[in-house]
Amino acid sequence: MNRFSVIQARSIDEAAAALAPARQGARRVALPQLKAGGMDLIDLMKEGIAEPPTLINLLTVEEAALRRIDEGRFGALVTLAELAADAALLRTAPVIARSVALAATPQVRNVATAAGSLLQRPRCWYYRNHQFDCLKKGGSTCFAVEGENRHHAIFGGGPCHIVHPSNLAPALVVCDGSVDLVGGDRTTLPIARLFHGPDRGSVLGEHTLEPGEIIVGIRYRPAPTSGFCAIKEKQSFDWPLVFACVALALEGTTIAGARVCAGAVAPTPWPLPAVEEALRGVDLGDGAALSRACAVAAEGATPMRDNAFKVRLLPVAVRRAIEDAVRPARAEEATP
Amino acid sequence: MADADQINQPTANRSFNDAMVVDANASRLDGVAKVTGRARYARDVTVPGMLYVQGIRSPWGVGKLAAIDVPAAKAIPGVVDVVVERDTGEYDGDWIGHVVAESRLALRRAMRALAPRWERGEPKVGIDPGQVVLDAPDEGASAAYRRAAHIFEAEYSTPVQTHSALETHGLVVEHRGESAIVHASTQGTFAVAEEIARFIGLPRSRYEVRCEYVGGGFGAKFQIGREGSTAATVAAATKRSVHSFCTRREEHLDTGNRPSSHIKVKLGVARDGAILGGQIAVFGGTGVARGGGGASIPSRRYALGEVSAKTTNVRFNAGAPRAMRAPGHPQGAFAEELMLDEVAALAGVDPLELRLRLDTDESGARRAMYRAGAEMIGWSRRHANGAVPEEGGPIRTGLGVGSTSWGALRGPAQAEIVVHRDGAVELRSGAQDIGTGFRTVIGIAAADALGVPLESIDVRIGRSTLPEGPASGGSVTTPSVTPAVIAAAQDAKRQLLEVAAQRLGVAAARLTIVGGNLRDGERVALAWADLCRLLPTESVVGSGRFDGRGGTLFGEGHSHGVQFAEVEVDIETGVIGVRRVIAFQACGRILCRKTAESQVIGGVIQGLSYALFENRLLDRKTGAMVNPNLEAYKILGSVDMPVIEPILWSDATQTGARGLGEPPVIPTAGAVACAVLNAVGAPVRHLPMTPDKVLAAVDAAAAQPAGQPADGRPRREGGAA
Repeated sequence: MNRFSVIQARSIDEAAAALAPARQGARRVALPQLKAGGMDLIDLMKEGIAEPPTLINLLTVEEAALRRIDEGRFGALVTLAELAADAALLRTAPVIARSVALAATPQVRNVATAAGSLLQRPRCWYYRNHQFDCLKKGGSTCFAVEGENRHHAIFGGGPCHIVHPSNLAPALVVCDGSVDLVGGDRTTLPIARLFHGPDRGSVLGEHTLEPGEIIVGIRYRPAPTSGFCAIKEKQSFDWPLVFACVALALEGTTIAGARVCAGAVAPTPWPLPAVEEALRGVDLGDGAALSRACAVAAEGATPMRDNAFKVRLLPVAVRRAIEDAVRPARAEEATP
Repeated sequence: MADADQINQPTANRSFNDAMVVDANASRLDGVAKVTGRARYARDVTVPGMLYVQGIRSPWGVGKLAAIDVPAAKAIPGVVDVVVERDTGEYDGDWIGHVVAESRLALRRAMRALAPRWERGEPKVGIDPGQVVLDAPDEGASAAYRRAAHIFEAEYSTPVQTHSALETHGLVVEHRGESAIVHASTQGTFAVAEEIARFIGLPRSRYEVRCEYVGGGFGAKFQIGREGSTAATVAAATKRSVHSFCTRREEHLDTGNRPSSHIKVKLGVARDGAILGGQIAVFGGTGVARGGGGASIPSRRYALGEVSAKTTNVRFNAGAPRAMRAPGHPQGAFAEELMLDEVAALAGVDPLELRLRLDTDESGARRAMYRAGAEMIGWSRRHANGAVPEEGGPIRTGLGVGSTSWGALRGPAQAEIVVHRDGAVELRSGAQDIGTGFRTVIGIAAADALGVPLESIDVRIGRSTLPEGPASGGSVTTPSVTPAVIAAAQDAKRQLLEVAAQRLGVAAARLTIVGGNLRDGERVALAWADLCRLLPTESVVGSGRFDGRGGTLFGEGHSHGVQFAEVEVDIETGVIGVRRVIAFQACGRILCRKTAESQVIGGVIQGLSYALFENRLLDRKTGAMVNPNLEAYKILGSVDMPVIEPILWSDATQTGARGLGEPPVIPTAGAVACAVLNAVGAPVRHLPMTPDKVLAAVDAAAAQPAGQPADGRPRREGGAA
């Protein structure tokens, strides 16, 4: 790790002020960087992928709102463990709590923050390995194309084939989530517009925040009938092979409306509007119809050499996320 | 997956002879120090003013160094030396030079300043499946094929597994001008002392190797490596202390591994499932090494008729293998066990029944384990391969079984027991505890033989200036050192009793030491402290030696084992959940039951991790490892842990302690693979058994010809090849 300095910001204003050089368009490599839980950033620094000269520590910020979970909103510094354990959230938008309940490890969940989860960098093993001069690091090659691509994108890939890593973002997409911003001209941004694919915007980054903008809160619309399913190769400390988030509007046992978003399959959270359409009018008791509607999730996938199995897993994940959403006595459950 | 309170509870052991146990439940003497972080590992050693060394390594499978800025690196403050020896690399992680610096920060900055520019060549990254072919059959195999009712052919493969020791490879040379202490993370304290002599610039009398704790040693920590030899060379040249440890990345790339294998088998099978013979071709990956590949198949645990086997080493651009916990055996056992289950399905016989018929253990121990295990796991409820459970749903269950055996290996060893006049007792053995519990186990042996409580013994191990013990390989440490410890204790006791007899004026033959007290017949004659106070000298030294051969402490033959596995497979996702592993393991006399059971549990865990997750993955275009960390290189974690029931097995023929480190890792992957075959109805022949491969097996089972029962009833293929 290189030398760097740390600014212990005591308020969001102080953090925003420290981040000001970024707004003024200083040389890219010399930009200070925000650190919340640091779960991802410190790793990147150890691996020599990120080399910020200055870290602005947000954990020292005193505003209580950054750590509070309110109805329809939670602060940027709320930890994943706190989200997972929040009884009100489990009632109003279970998909959000469930999405992070088994992410990473208990130790990580106790430290990792909500906004940090959204803005973490991709897990692509070429990106994370300093010796590969890949597109994301300013090179001219996506090594996954001809290399080892079992964990890469089956939708929306190219020229870079990463998958979006955050469990939380797709969960927020199905709850019409948005982020509260300070430090720039905007005060809010829909979650669906927080990320851009590698073909629209700089391949060097994944989000659409302007330099200097800071996420301070996250808002969502209640989705009491919502669920999550991640399919993982290893159950301890592993990234999902695919996962799905759903939010349903039911009329009796019939699906009147559905929001469905997949993760770990594309460079951004990947909404599945065709599945939403196919699910409308399906009776939950009609297993065959439900399976047919979920199967639509595989349509249009463009798998790479080693990840066709993800195409097969995605409809299963969607189906199980629906089952998760409608499980009886759901709200009373505590998370691990 | 399993309830937390269910996991790894010691089980009631029906077959167990308690008389064979010296101590049932002693906790490790160093357990608290280890879990509280007080234990100081070699890597933790820091010496004021010490230097740091790190290797400069090739980043690609085939690399040519086009440019490197040595002057820029040397100009960094705190950089002591930069050496570039070569400008070509043959694999990712190939050592081509090194940097010496006064701090880790300076080291890191120098590495960056070097800014090496590499030209990349075309690497070969593994065994080409196209080259995995059988030779023309010899006479025996041809005859087997002619007589066969079925011809069975299959190809299996296993990946490279890295040792992934938590404490990476390396050592610290603490230089004291005219002498030195070498703090090493090693499996061979004396091996390090010998190897480092060439580099350290001091006579053997002027340095000591210390190995107090080892953070994992699975066969790759016998040699000092470039990281060690360079540290010693730098220390000799500068007369300064040097710290040199591999990074996690280097640990994956260049400190050895369990090599990959491709195994092709062709067998002639009789109508009743008997294996008449055939051919087995093993293609063993060796990375850049010229040898060291292969797989132990046939294992000789099963009668396979007239079977010929051939091993071919395959070189490619990757780090070389080193020994790893039962070298060659888990690879071979995976293929052999799954092969047996496939043959059983082909012939329509129960796979356990087939094993009972083919088993070659004349002592009958393994057959007894098979029967006991079948009852415990409920083999009678094993359904036909791929059968759908009554309740429907995507979960399929399966049972599998595999076997193991290990020779009773041992080597020469010495030990001393020093009893001081103040009552203190020291046990001295230079051998190292690589995490097996050796420190505790020899303490128990000494306590038992001397007649004092374990707590009263100060166990000193892991120093090249203490009595010589073996390197920890082949599961020899406990069986080799224990006899020497017992002899030393007996020698010390004899001397104590002679002193006491003389001072008390009784015959030494009447005296014993029990529970730390001197007894004259049944009567307590003297407490321990009073007994020791009688010594005419400051201490008495009891010496023991074991020549490494035979001896009454050892029975002959092998230590056998059998493991049963129960799995649940989700056929929609391909995810395998191992629910239960029952591991029978013979190990002779058990010095510490808790530690012995831990060894078996540890072996099963490493075997499960091999079965399901571990895989050194090299990028096919560049030859660089894409997962040189502990995130993308997947190792079994707590949530993936099944209930593991270790069952130590003793019988009258095994009277001495036997090594237990290696045999339990051998059968696990095979047993799990058999259980997966049973669950889904088709085999997963390539490790690790990841969801994509399991789903392919689910499809293969579904595609079996109509009328072909899912349990693989005889598939007639005509009588001849």
